[in-house]
Amino acid sequence: MIRSRRRWAITLVAAILGVLVVAQLRSQAANPGLSNLSAQELTLVIANVNTRNESLRAEVADLERTVASLTDAHDRGESALDELRSDLAALEAWAGLTPVVGPGVSIRVTGEIGGEGVEDLLNELRNAGAEAVAVEAVRVVAGSVVYGLPGGLSVENTALPDGFEIRAIGSSQILTGTLTRAGGVIAQLGATYEGLTISVTPLDVVSIPATERNLVPGHGTPSL
Amino acid sequence: MTAVLARIRALPSWQVTLTGALFVLGFLIAAQLAAEGPRIRYTSQERAPLIETALGLQEQQDALQTRILELRAQIVELEGEEPGSEALVRQINAALEHARIAGGLVQLTGPGIIFRLEDADNPGPERDSLVTARDIRTLVQELWLAGAEAASINSERVTTGTAVLDIGNAILANSAYLAPPYEVRAIGPDDLYERLTTSASFIEFVRSRIEPYGLRLSFSELDAVTVPAYAGTIRSRYGRPDPSAEPVR
Repeated sequence: MIRSRRRWAITLVAAILGVLVVAQLRSQAANPGLSNLSAQELTLVIANVNTRNESLRAEVADLERTVASLTDAHDRGESALDELRSDLAALEAWAGLTPVVGPGVSIRVTGEIGGEGVEDLLNELRNAGAEAVAVEAVRVVAGSVVYGLPGGLSVENTALPDGFEIRAIGSSQILTGTLTRAGGVIAQLGATYEGLTISVTPLDVVSIPATERNLVPGHGTPSL
Repeated sequence: MTAVLARIRALPSWQVTLTGALFVLGFLIAAQLAAEGPRIRYTSQERAPLIETALGLQEQQDALQTRILELRAQIVELEGEEPGSEALVRQINAALEHARIAGGLVQLTGPGIIFRLEDADNPGPERDSLVTARDIRTLVQELWLAGAEAASINSERVTTGTAVLDIGNAILANSAYLAPPYEVRAIGPDDLYERLTTSASFIEFVRSRIEPYGLRLSFSELDAVTVPAYAGTIRSRYGRPDPSAEPVR
């Protein structure tokens, strides 16, 4: 009877031990960062990831339509050149290889600002859903950086004048609202750079040029 | 002392086993509680379901991204079998391939550097001892300026539309949650590291941001760094190709 109780006690402790070991390993492997966030931060992360999942679902639906249409044309022995052309136009526009037009905003920057301040502004435009951005006549793509100290800014080896324009295509309402909200990026930059003025004008039509940057990798090999 | 040892020896072996197991149990409970800790310590009751939800959404996100990459591969295959005029199809397919590579929709492997950016060892209450979105953006920008041709942050490819944001103490890129430590990968010329570390702005970043606050920045130079393909949306809702520009083939 006593021996049986001992066995039960050891079995119970071993079981709890096992559960805790697994919980410990899982919590460390699965979310090294999430468990360090407050409830408010977690709520914001959830909202952002959820919004992204929505857009990924839309992308999946879009791609499934393209697959179905290509398969259909294939099965009927017909050409799907129109589908290919439209895919190409969308891809080239997104990658920055062709000029694009659409509604958006024009942002006029006057006064002294450093490269990292302009990059903060561009980051906020991307966050607000800007689909294409240009600084003066330079299309901003992956690899484009506005750099330099106040008064000596450059982008893609092009010097920026003292007062310069940033244009972005997207929802003019969302872009304007995000940039100009209280405590937003413009307010923060205004507090950092004395005498800086940034004005945002919503526009029905904004034109963005194609990039002149060579986007074909010279060192990396693509896995097609 | 000998009396104590003799008393321990006299104990039944199952008691010794149980005591040992209870010690380990105590240690694990303490470790579990410590793992819940900081960046900052919060009560875990309200957060547990939120963490579960966030993890569930992340799993969905991973599955959606995998599906996007599968569908894109399927489309490339179908486009390659297009039965139309051979020369024209070849031309359009070559342009599609070029656009996909240019936009970062294709995984790339080549010589480069992998950086690891971590919070200070014992972060204080101030935000400065934690890695911020701006630190990651600065590192990526410095790599671009040094000649990198492709970059990623954790598993997110840096594309034309990538924003890197602070959400409280969390960091998001392409609206995806990034779990620390942060890993920035870049492919570029063989002298990418030399170019980077001799750049005045990178030296300033290390002097003003990494060193004074104890942030940890380590790196590894490799012959083959793989930068993942972008697995997000590329469809435009507002922009369209400029009709006044040269028509697309």
